[in-house]
Amino acid sequence: MTGTPDLAALREKLSQGDGPRFWRSLDAVADSPEFRDYLAAEFPSASRLAAAPERRGFLKLMAASFALGGLTACGAGSGRDYEVPYVNQPERIVPGTDLSYASSALFDGFGNGVLVTTRNGRPLKIEGNPDHPWSRGGTDVLAQASVLGLYDPFRSQAVQHLGRPSSWAAFRADLQAQMPAWRENRGEGLALLTGPVTSPTLAAQIARLRAAYPALRWHVGAGASRDGLYEGARRAYGRPLETLPAFDRARTIVALDGDFLDLGPGQVGLSRRWIDARRAAYADGRLLTLHAAAPTPTLTSAKADHGVVVPAGRLDDLARDLLGMAGGGTGPGGDDPVARWTRGAGTALAGARGAGIVTAGLTASPDLHALVHRLNGALGNTGATLLHVEPAAEPGAGTLAELAEAMERGTVKALIVLGANPVYDAPGALDFAARMARVPLKIHAGLYYDETGAHADWHLPIAHPLESWGDVRALDGTVGLIQPTIAPLYNGRTLPQMLAFLAGGDEAEDALALVKARWRRDGEDEAAFEARFSEALRRGFWADSARPVETVALTQDAASPAPALPVGGIEVLIRPDPTLWDGTHADLAWLQELPKPLTKVVWENVVAVSPRLAEREGIATGDVLRIVAAGRAVEGPAWILPGQADDTVTLTLGYGRNVPDHLSRGLGYDAGPLRPVGASWRLSGATLTRTGRRSQPVTTQHLGTMEGEDLVRVQALGAAPVGDPKGAPAPASFYPPPGSQDRWVAAQWGMAIDLDACTGCNACVTACQAENNIPVVGREEVALGRWMGWLRIDRYYAGELDAPRTHFQPVPCMHCEQAPCELGCPVEATLHDSEGLNLQVYNRCVGTRTCQSYCPYKVRRFNYLDYSGGMTPVEQQQRNPEVTVRARGVMEKCTYCIQRITAARITSAKDAHAPIPDGAVETACQGACPTRAITFGNVADPGSHVSAARRDPREYALLGHLNTRPRTTYLAGLAPPAEPGGREG
Amino acid sequence: MAQLFTPGADAIYRLALMTGVACLVGLPVLAAGIVRSNYVTGVGVAPAQPLPFSHKHHSGELGVDCRYCHTTVEKEATAGIPPTHTCMTCHSQIWTGSDMLKPVRDSYAQDKPLEWKRLNKLPQYVYYNHSVHVTKGIGCSTCHGDVTSMQMTYRANAFEMQFCLDCHRAPEKYVRTPDQVWNMNWKPPADQATLGPKLVAQYHIRGGARLTECGICHR
Repeated sequence: MTGTPDLAALREKLSQGDGPRFWRSLDAVADSPEFRDYLAAEFPSASRLAAAPERRGFLKLMAASFALGGLTACGAGSGRDYEVPYVNQPERIVPGTDLSYASSALFDGFGNGVLVTTRNGRPLKIEGNPDHPWSRGGTDVLAQASVLGLYDPFRSQAVQHLGRPSSWAAFRADLQAQMPAWRENRGEGLALLTGPVTSPTLAAQIARLRAAYPALRWHVGAGASRDGLYEGARRAYGRPLETLPAFDRARTIVALDGDFLDLGPGQVGLSRRWIDARRAAYADGRLLTLHAAAPTPTLTSAKADHGVVVPAGRLDDLARDLLGMAGGGTGPGGDDPVARWTRGAGTALAGARGAGIVTAGLTASPDLHALVHRLNGALGNTGATLLHVEPAAEPGAGTLAELAEAMERGTVKALIVLGANPVYDAPGALDFAARMARVPLKIHAGLYYDETGAHADWHLPIAHPLESWGDVRALDGTVGLIQPTIAPLYNGRTLPQMLAFLAGGDEAEDALALVKARWRRDGEDEAAFEARFSEALRRGFWADSARPVETVALTQDAASPAPALPVGGIEVLIRPDPTLWDGTHADLAWLQELPKPLTKVVWENVVAVSPRLAEREGIATGDVLRIVAAGRAVEGPAWILPGQADDTVTLTLGYGRNVPDHLSRGLGYDAGPLRPVGASWRLSGATLTRTGRRSQPVTTQHLGTMEGEDLVRVQALGAAPVGDPKGAPAPASFYPPPGSQDRWVAAQWGMAIDLDACTGCNACVTACQAENNIPVVGREEVALGRWMGWLRIDRYYAGELDAPRTHFQPVPCMHCEQAPCELGCPVEATLHDSEGLNLQVYNRCVGTRTCQSYCPYKVRRFNYLDYSGGMTPVEQQQRNPEVTVRARGVMEKCTYCIQRITAARITSAKDAHAPIPDGAVETACQGACPTRAITFGNVADPGSHVSAARRDPREYALLGHLNTRPRTTYLAGLAPPAEPGGREG
Repeated sequence: MAQLFTPGADAIYRLALMTGVACLVGLPVLAAGIVRSNYVTGVGVAPAQPLPFSHKHHSGELGVDCRYCHTTVEKEATAGIPPTHTCMTCHSQIWTGSDMLKPVRDSYAQDKPLEWKRLNKLPQYVYYNHSVHVTKGIGCSTCHGDVTSMQMTYRANAFEMQFCLDCHRAPEKYVRTPDQVWNMNWKPPADQATLGPKLVAQYHIRGGARLTECGICHR
């Protein structure tokens, strides 16, 4: 908000227990009069009008409103004046009916199984593929947003030569003139740069290409590579390996520096495995405790049962302490939080030999990974709860640094970049753009005409995954197939086509044939292959294609000396962005406007600083900081982040893009200049100065602040139930019980959200946006409090200022049985139906916003402007035709995906009103959730999943004392049994 | 002092007063009339189409079933507009040289769809599902009129909310036996008062209160 409260006073207040038990922000703890006014105004923009009842102004406004009121009726026609049937109806496409295809969503070269819902030949929505052995039905935010990426008007739409529009034919002619020379000198001076390649088809093609040009150098660059993990495994086992935790066999988990619940290629699969195991343990009356130590808060450390803040430089020592305890040591002495945590985690691990898991995150150093492997080995966990498989990514490629060096030497004569953007995402020290300029021929193929495209001679548009044939491996090696759901919008080519062309074929070669060629066994009968391939395509993956588990043996501990980092100063941590990852998808407005899970900042990245550092340096949130390390500098706005290690700042990737005219241009800062080369994610000895400028980050953390107690509840294991008492008579009400009088009403809809399972990953928020045509409003509008998401995830802190616990709470419409909003509406635009849905009738709404002010949960959103108007025709293709596109001046909110309920109801009605089976209606948020935190169904049916969830003793209603009787209820998060004298959040 | 007003002034005053009152009452009536007029709603107006397709000839005289062309009416939300291919199933054999059918042949040969002027249009916030109405005994002609008598097809009803509500409030007045759904000349039989409620029960049509809930059509 404004300024920064006195942090010392806040710390005092929280440690004394005077502050709120759960708090959303530092401002909320400070609870200053200004902050109260801000909240009371609810919409800061409206408060200006309300505060100044000026007669003349009022009359002028009213006169204009009356005069112009009629104009709204004079809008352009809806444009649906013609009916255009097919000439020849395709066999399966029925106009107005959904058709779903199994495919894979790409994440940095890795895949997750998805189902693509299409209608009239247009992909509209991504659902998880529940049959996929790795991802098991969940999705992440990038998969949900990929459908927007397909229709993104910023996508590259034409071949460009030296920045001017050209054609594939011209490119083909140019290259084919040079290819004989390449062939003659065996590809000397050729360099191929790709992202991580897990696709077996691409791998086979690259192998063929290298056979054709033996001197060709292949390099792999990724914005956020997994090299650190693999290097750690190499140090421990002598070869790169992917480590897959088997949570279901574990009794305790220790996570160092986050990652397994954080955004990444493994997020969906790992989160699901984790929650399944945690649920199974809870069913047994146990808690699958998660001990987490992290230098900067992550989603993983936010879910920790026992968390501690440790500077990144001390993580290795901490792992050594744990290793010592595994060997029978007593652990570190002392009473500081880190020592206490280490003793706790070490004891837990020692008590669960062969049933513990120690993991380190993507951004941990190779040394730490190696230590963790040795620790797991010492505990007997390796092979029991930690399985090792070969990395899904194809080995044998050089690094980006090697490529930069070769370019510097001038040995690269032709550089072919396929689907990577090194000019933006290479570490600043590589000076990639300048070195690339030394290459005589530069070819870039990508989804966007990005920084690298602008530096290349040829830029070629590649097809979006939703337009492509292909294959890809998931983290565990399962091969998913990618099938097109629409013809390429912009004449793009797939990566297999590009490689086929480089190997001497045609760039417009049949992409399906290229994929099939990889999978046809030698001498296999064509019909048998087609049957096998069709079945795999139908399922979306090759069955049993996961990498086999490897037996590993620890090598001799060749304790490599840790690189001597400069001592003292500020430690800088670089992290992938929690919504944008490495910035490849920075032009997707859904991801930009998605509040970051922990800061709730939108449309930019911030420099996270700890409260102590802020106190010491006098930093307020929004102060632009300058961080200098190794002669390079980055400037960005400060954000005081509880849970951050003291002298540590965190920078995130993905911002500071500089492509003319693109959405992402000028948003945030680019952390690239400070990025260390290689597998390192941190640097020490930086200096931090205040520039004196200010740039207030826009955040949604105060939007939807509720007034009340017990918003978040935590169930300590073995303690008395914190849920609402069951079986108690409903409190008295003036109104008749809803839904009970109509004998025809079959279902009463309700939702239960398990706070223990919610990891704050945001997949539900993006899924809701995709399903319900929710507009993006832009940074300025969000700053005015007009963020439009129907589902928000509230983040609460509990406990002390410097190392709080974190809780996430998704808040959709509660569909209150006694809904306060309905009392406020003068035109009955919001009212109940007999199935318990709180309806919002857009065509009745006159926009008084009374319902919004009456809503205690603050889930209603108002269209202050025509947010959905003015979209380009290609973006309009994404809209869900089953959901009204809301106009200016109407209120909207979560409908429990009424369009999906209606579809199920009509199906049941046509089937003589057979009851809608449990699970037939899945809301968009529910379907996207990787941890199945959301259950939806008929609460009148005692056998339904949602009824079972509501019987859980942890179940409680948000603000239940208001007697709103919400249909959406929560299951309290779990916590370990309260230790004597310990603080439980 | 001379009189300010001439003797005729009263008449003018009264006239002005009456005109004012008449306008106050009349203009809204006029406006309401205009928006409901066929001129605005398009009811009964057959617009020019790419070719003069006659439902009267095909459906009325030749007896082609509705579902021969509108194939998805029993299964999907939309009834379906036939692809050119459907026209050509017959017209590749009969009337193959007709000038009138040239647009159809051109469409088929050039793979360019026919673009029909849309007749029946609901607002964007209204969601209608053909299949559930047809399977629950609501016939085509209830909404689309007697299409078999239309030489050129026109809009038979304005589809204002009142029109939908009439039936949603009292479905028993409109519901038919399954064999009558496709009958374009259906008139309520003499025993509709007793048959209707029976059919409503048989079809499990939910009562008036449920069918008039906003969420049934608006979402």
